[in-house]
Amino acid sequence: MANLQFKALRKSFGESEILHGIDLEITDGEFIVFVGPSGCGKSTLLRCIAGLEEITSGELFIGGEAMNDVPPSKRGIAMVFQSYALYPHMTVAENMAFGLKLAGTSKVETAAAVLRAAQILQIEPLLDRRPKALSGGQRQRVAIGRAIVRKPGVFLFDEPLSNLDAGLRVQMRVELARLHVDLRTTMVYVTHDQVEAMTLANRIVVINQGRIEQVGTPLELYHHPANRFVAGFIGSPRMNFLPCTLASAAETGATVHLADGTLLTAAVDARGLAEGAALTLGIRPERLLASRTASENTAKSTVIVAEHLGDTVFLYVKSPGSAEQLTVKTRPEDPLAMGDEVHLGFPAHHCLLFGPDDRTLPRIL
Amino acid sequence: MAIVIEKSQRWRVFAAHAFLIVLCALVIFPLLMIISISLRPGNFATGSLIPETISLEHWRFALGIPSMGPDGQMIKPDLPVLLWLWNSVKVATLSAAVALLLSTSAAYAFARMKFAGKKAALVGLMLMQMFPTILALIAIHSIFSRLGHTFPLVGIDSPWALVLAYSGGISLHIWTIKGYYETIPAEIEEAATVDGATPWQAFWRVLLPMALPILMVIFLLAFIGAVNEYPVASVLLRSQDKLTLAAGMKQFLYAQKYLWGDFAAASILSGLPITFVFILAQRWMISGLTSGANKG
Ligand SMILES: Nc1ncnc2c1ncn2[C@@H]1O[C@H](COP(=O)(O)OP(=O)(O)OP(=O)(O)O)[C@@H](O)[C@H]1O
Ligand SMILES: [Mg+2]
Repeated sequence: MANLQFKALRKSFGESEILHGIDLEITDGEFIVFVGPSGCGKSTLLRCIAGLEEITSGELFIGGEAMNDVPPSKRGIAMVFQSYALYPHMTVAENMAFGLKLAGTSKVETAAAVLRAAQILQIEPLLDRRPKALSGGQRQRVAIGRAIVRKPGVFLFDEPLSNLDAGLRVQMRVELARLHVDLRTTMVYVTHDQVEAMTLANRIVVINQGRIEQVGTPLELYHHPANRFVAGFIGSPRMNFLPCTLASAAETGATVHLADGTLLTAAVDARGLAEGAALTLGIRPERLLASRTASENTAKSTVIVAEHLGDTVFLYVKSPGSAEQLTVKTRPEDPLAMGDEVHLGFPAHHCLLFGPDDRTLPRIL
Repeated sequence: MAIVIEKSQRWRVFAAHAFLIVLCALVIFPLLMIISISLRPGNFATGSLIPETISLEHWRFALGIPSMGPDGQMIKPDLPVLLWLWNSVKVATLSAAVALLLSTSAAYAFARMKFAGKKAALVGLMLMQMFPTILALIAIHSIFSRLGHTFPLVGIDSPWALVLAYSGGISLHIWTIKGYYETIPAEIEEAATVDGATPWQAFWRVLLPMALPILMVIFLLAFIGAVNEYPVASVLLRSQDKLTLAAGMKQFLYAQKYLWGDFAAASILSGLPITFVFILAQRWMISGLTSGANKG
């Protein structure tokens, strides 16, 4: 059991800096998820925590102790690698017992711990097999089993589910959530799958190009993204963005011009920005309304494609006044089809506005 | 093998088999010849492949079994062939073991650690050993002769000197093992480190077991090299009872008299330990030791 603390942590490989000053506190027992696009430095940050990469500058504390110069073996962590990295020459039981054996734990105790972990993960029948004779999902369990037998203070997971098929991924996701409830250990989980992030995390850390964009609970990030990157990254399908210019800003809301001249209002406080400032309007597909008739706060467009998924329909429509397309999530009752003219409704209190620096403008609630 | 084969394919298979059989015959022929020579009475290098009469005189000589002389007296062979063989095995085993120890650990450093001058050291090692041993023969002799004054154990005429000299020739082994290590994902050792292993434990308990096949190959190569080596052995060893078989066998070939039969019997003997070590090592030369470590 341990908390984690990063202070202005930086990491460079030679000349190129990969992590540009990470400040973060993770409380004891928390399930924290790092998300971000490929190559943003998630694995690098995790490897810095594990001690597999030296920290270039800044500080890292685990359980209140400075860890910069402590070797991985002394950090009280366990890691599940992106590639599992099982010991191929040892049986499943030996794989799981390896850490305890090195620590000098007695044979009886080790065997008991291995058995307990195997029961939790339902891999008892596999204990005498070599990793070669296991399926991908079974290997993944062994990798987790190897981590939990050691009762570490912090668990590190590097995209453990990325190579599993969709069904198994959902199953393992549920098991990981249950494992966290059972063990109550701090878990740091890296993924680029935002569904995993939303479902597993107590708090999500969104990383982009080696910087933290925002930290918060899944719903905080969903409802109150700090900037355009987070708004676009969290939520599936992703948020629609429309370029616009500020027409007027008042205490009650802001009006903006879309590229085709349509005037829309958003419940956003844009005072302080000059009239005519270039902004971005953001709205989630499930909030965008599609109807055949024009009404207040609507923009005219045409349907490019309609995707029927049974319980929902995704409409891809032309963005008013630009070549981009927008996604609308709607119900199958709306019989809109390809080529139909459509009026898009933008409910004012579901519209977000992003300033010229891509930061979210404060909303009026 | 239930794959359906096309007609023309069958001819190609037949041709390939014929080619392989010819190749095998070419490889085996010299061995058969040596066996034939060793069983032929008298000392002739040429003659029919299948001897008309079989005589064990050369084998008696090589194995040190006394034989009946022309005057009815039992003569003990004058050259200690079996002792030389034993010396060869000793020196080869020891030097192969030392070479293995040095090259596995050096290769680990080159494959996994970061240090200044790594590239230069690797290339330097290689370049230095590209010169033939003959060039360094005089140097080797004087080095060991000097060494012997201070440390008689590794002086001229000591098997330890030979072990030491052979163990130096490991740059090729280092390159080979380093190449093999690099095919093993570093994450497996990193996992061991996170599991609490020191770098030494990660090397010894995780990397080495996975590298077993290449270690066996290197041991075998070093062993064969040491058994066959002639120039250094002939310079460093002098007394009759210290010689290795390769160095000693020269004495079968006098200027006036070439004892081809004895020579053949002794050379077959020198092949025996190599065959034996190969059969032992082969059990460990299995592929796919790292499969299963990663996602399937
Ligand atoms: N050893 C290294 N030397 C140089 N650059 C590196 C090294 N390791 C990683 N990088 C670089 O650091 C950046 C971040 O890599 P990292 O592996 O942390 O990405 P990631 O967020 O885990 O991506 P993914 O989701 O694809 O796993 C990449 O641009 C990568 O090229
Ligand atoms: Mg990664």
